[in-house]
Amino acid sequence: MDNASQDKASTDKASQAEGVNKSTLPTGGVLSGMVEIGRGMGTVLKHYFREPVTLEYPEVLPDLSDRFHGRLALLTKSDGTDLCVGCKACARVCPCDDLIQIEMHRDDNKKPVVDIFTIDMGRCIFCGNCTEVCPVDCIKMLPDFELADYSREALVLDKRDLTVSGKESDDWRAVRGFDPHVE
Amino acid sequence: MEIPGVTINRDLDTEDMVVNIGPQHPSTHGVLRLITTLNGEVVKDMEPVIGYLHRGKEKMAESRSYFQYQPTIDRVEYLSSFYDHYAFVASLESIAKLKVPKRVEYIRMITMELNRISSHLLWFGTFLLDLGATSPLFYAFREREEIFKLFEDLTGARMMYNYYRFGGVTQDIPAGWLDQVRKFIDKAPKMFDEYEAIVSKNPIILDRTVGHGLMTKDQCMEYGVTGPSLRACGIAQDLRKTNPYCVYDEVDFDVPIATRGDVYDRYIVRMAEMRESLRIIRQGLAQIPGGDTAQVNAAKKAIEDAKKRGETPEELNPDWLSMGQKVNLMVFKPPAGEAITMVESPRGFLGCYIISDGTPKAYRCKWRGASFSNLSALPSLMKGHLYPDLMAIFGSLDVILPEVDR
Repeated sequence: MDNASQDKASTDKASQAEGVNKSTLPTGGVLSGMVEIGRGMGTVLKHYFREPVTLEYPEVLPDLSDRFHGRLALLTKSDGTDLCVGCKACARVCPCDDLIQIEMHRDDNKKPVVDIFTIDMGRCIFCGNCTEVCPVDCIKMLPDFELADYSREALVLDKRDLTVSGKESDDWRAVRGFDPHVE
Repeated sequence: MEIPGVTINRDLDTEDMVVNIGPQHPSTHGVLRLITTLNGEVVKDMEPVIGYLHRGKEKMAESRSYFQYQPTIDRVEYLSSFYDHYAFVASLESIAKLKVPKRVEYIRMITMELNRISSHLLWFGTFLLDLGATSPLFYAFREREEIFKLFEDLTGARMMYNYYRFGGVTQDIPAGWLDQVRKFIDKAPKMFDEYEAIVSKNPIILDRTVGHGLMTKDQCMEYGVTGPSLRACGIAQDLRKTNPYCVYDEVDFDVPIATRGDVYDRYIVRMAEMRESLRIIRQGLAQIPGGDTAQVNAAKKAIEDAKKRGETPEELNPDWLSMGQKVNLMVFKPPAGEAITMVESPRGFLGCYIISDGTPKAYRCKWRGASFSNLSALPSLMKGHLYPDLMAIFGSLDVILPEVDR
């Protein structure tokens, strides 16, 4: 590394630390100590006249980003029919072993039909792995964090709970740069 | 045992007392148990008991694919998980010889330095809370919240990012994000001045920190202490300088060091480090290839339009991509090999050593966390000191317990 700059930095810091040490050692005098405490209190006092930075949560909701890792949802096609093809890619990359349960079969036209799709939101760690590997961009995360419920069982969401309507899906896709209309 | 300024009445025939501090103690920042032998108020002996937060981080890697394992890394070093991700991802990249675009390296550097500031801010707040000052905690959290908002816009999560990928990042930065970062780093120095006005020369803080918890260079070497605690002793050991990874060799910054190695010096070094981080971010923002995402997208669109017209336009500069070589995350199999990456995390050296046997799962994944070594120096620092100094000294080491137990 650059020795000169390091030496300079070290001497700067050293002299700075020394300066602080000498001028404000406990023996240095009561007056300087009082001044410093006054300065600290002044800073605290300044905050009385500032706008609060906190939000009053249930009334005011935070402005969440489009990429927020929230509740999982299954998007649908624009007409509201299933988009999921039951490939189980999401289940394979999930770090929480058997969190996502999928059962599917193929109908007479060899089209995939998803029978069962459950996600245990109580064990989900909201990592977003499933959303990244989905080949049809079906499983996605909504900017919704209010998931509390009265029992663990209520947090196991089935396909009906997870599926969002066609219009909501289109809105979701439109905001995030996907092609909103999916046939 | 003589402690300046303390008179101990030795007329009474006293016995040593064993006090159990923790595991549930607000000042241990996690779950740490300290079996302390006290003679009056003087600590005679101290034995940390760890393992309450052991989650098998290393073993988990052997039963999950690399992509499946990656989100679990965040949960260990939760205050600065970008560093853990960088160590993990960089190790895999060097095994699989994946090329990483320059733009991605810059995004990684900017996010890591922001993460260092957020981690140091939390340290600053809780350290002073341990010393009895309540207001700085709220001020520190106010700025930390702004950094978290930036991270949320970028990755979707505030603390558990899961953003770096083998060969790139999950998504390019959102348009306008760099301007928001610039806005933050423009006002951050003023905020740091505000903190220092309350703390740096406060006589009560000085009384409790100057000359306490002195650590010598030899002690640091014996225990393997790294990070700001080491630099406070006067050793300018910083992996970003001595062994530049990412793009740290393209930016200019100093390594702040102090001389005495006491609690106060560790505070001074960390405050100086935050300002250096701002310097690095400022240079990163100026040098990032492609600049704002809007510009990159416009360039991509121009190329597409030209292709539609049947022309053969110049390809997009490979440095501008957000993902080098596209890998199939589900079946990502690096070739057999091994690699170690050491990074300078806010707490010190952080290393990730991966042995791959050509399967989708790691054969072995070893982590080296700075907190474990830093914590092991605590008993020697505490011996012969007053019990009330424990939280000042322990807090100054900036130990994070999940990283100790892993």
